[in-house]
Amino acid sequence: MRSGDALLRSASFGYIGLLIILPITVMIVRSLQGGLSALWADITLPQALFSLRLTIVTAFIMVLINIVTGTATAWVLVRYSFPGKQVMDALIDLPFAMPTIVAGIMLVALYGPRSVIGSFLQGHNIEVMFNTPGIILALLFVTFPFVVRAVQPVLIELDQDMEEAAKTLGASSATIFFRIVLPSLMPSILTGAALSFSRALGEFGSIIMVAGNIPFRTQVASVYIYGEIESYNPQGALGLSVVLLFFSFAILLLLNFIQYWNRRHEN
Amino acid sequence: MNGTIRISLIVSLLWVICIGVLPQAAAEEKTIIFGAYTVPKDAYEQAVIPAFIKYWKENTGQAVKFEQSYEASGAQSRAIAAGLEADIAALSLEKDISRLKESGLISHDWKQNKYHGFVTNSLVVIGYRPGNPKNIKEWDDLKRPDVDVLYPSPKTSGGAMWDVNAIYGAGLKLSEVKTGKKDYTFAKNLLKGVQKRVKVMDKSGRASVTTFEQGIGDVLVTYEDEALLRKKQGKDFQFLIPESTILIENPIAVIDKNVDKHNTRQIAEAFVEFVHGKSAQRLFAQYGLRPVNEEVAQEFKEKFPVPKYLFDTNYLGGWDQVGKDIYGKEGVWTKIIEELATDK
Repeated sequence: MRSGDALLRSASFGYIGLLIILPITVMIVRSLQGGLSALWADITLPQALFSLRLTIVTAFIMVLINIVTGTATAWVLVRYSFPGKQVMDALIDLPFAMPTIVAGIMLVALYGPRSVIGSFLQGHNIEVMFNTPGIILALLFVTFPFVVRAVQPVLIELDQDMEEAAKTLGASSATIFFRIVLPSLMPSILTGAALSFSRALGEFGSIIMVAGNIPFRTQVASVYIYGEIESYNPQGALGLSVVLLFFSFAILLLLNFIQYWNRRHEN
Repeated sequence: MNGTIRISLIVSLLWVICIGVLPQAAAEEKTIIFGAYTVPKDAYEQAVIPAFIKYWKENTGQAVKFEQSYEASGAQSRAIAAGLEADIAALSLEKDISRLKESGLISHDWKQNKYHGFVTNSLVVIGYRPGNPKNIKEWDDLKRPDVDVLYPSPKTSGGAMWDVNAIYGAGLKLSEVKTGKKDYTFAKNLLKGVQKRVKVMDKSGRASVTTFEQGIGDVLVTYEDEALLRKKQGKDFQFLIPESTILIENPIAVIDKNVDKHNTRQIAEAFVEFVHGKSAQRLFAQYGLRPVNEEVAQEFKEKFPVPKYLFDTNYLGGWDQVGKDIYGKEGVWTKIIEELATDK
């Protein structure tokens, strides 16, 4: 039993090491190859900084929307029953199954100038595609399952006794939701939010189709990095990649902290 | 003998025969790995390669199979440099083949022939909506505030560099024609004015055409062969050849390291010779690619008019110079992007 334990443990560590730690370490080491000042210079190029800011801002706006819509969707799926519920539940995971490029093409077809919605928007001078709203839309699509799937299991497990008690005491639905249900859901909502944010930082396939990719206007970090790689500046690409990595890692730590805090709070 | 044993013996015998025979059959047929850029895919896949396979079979009795890969020129070049064992590379720009020479994959002087290593030509043209509602006539019209322009990002698409080089070079050429000297400021302002009107910068030339067909933009800066291909496919793609534009020259080369490894040198070199021959060049012309063979070019001169102020990459100093002057850290295009950002 003991040797089996040790074997499993070393195999797991080995796997994580090879698959995740090694490539990331190599990436960080390579990025520092030109020296710290060169790295900093690459990161602080105006175009790089702009793309980073755009990525973070659009991801953040998307998360704010996703928190609301994701929680609402989870609520509907758990608390109500209606025909087609199973189908709708399965559809939630569709963005995971779809190649992101396809998602991008679909969005352009749906909101581009040749579509019904698109021409309506264009007629009212609302620019969605190839502008910042288009980016946020693409991000919302690919990260949709995260908040829903994080909140759903918690909502299912939630003990409805307190809600019923509050109702008998005369509390309104809004009060019940905001003061009793929401606090219990908060950790899972934050988890979903952190996951979507992390995913959005690296999203590429759908964004490159819908964003327009104009430097200093609609070019996000992942597209900037791709451009640098394709034009023989892998060092420049590495610089910004390491920054994104840093943000993702920070989110991961935050996630772990939320879960740890949640576990302590429960006991 | 026991029934089971008999059957097993027969099966084993059949198995051995198959294994013995199959490699023989495979040895008869050679495979050429062909790495190209996306635009001439139909020309190669549907016409030129089948023609060569037929020609080779008739002249040598040997069956040849082509494994074909079509990718954006830069991506394809990088793939081959990173290990895709292509025997022949047919790419969009000279730079993408030079890269393979620099990495040691090509050891012969691939430009040392009558055609300087090029197999087809094309032009940078201006595509517009059917009927030309915005009345586009020249590069200058692309600066107008009522015109939305599309072309791919030179950062992600080597092909896009043709577009930007064409506009910048046209500025130089037209100013030289008018004043006798290249006016760099005039050329920069032309490029800047056009870049300002660019609405979407797609990943590649093909993606740009798709975006244009989705209804975005009034004008698409693209390549004549791409435009003619669309027309051949039945789409109503209208375009004009500007008075001054760049000659797109597409190179082809045998990749020494891989042909020696696969023992396909003879076939590969024959293919490169074949594509320069009249029959192949005629096929290219039918698919919208300008032939480099002068005789065939003469046959198709109605289809392929020559713009008045045509220039080529050498006019701009060659690819290395262009890489520095236009796309480098202090390059014209890089500066234009930065200026447009702060101008807003």
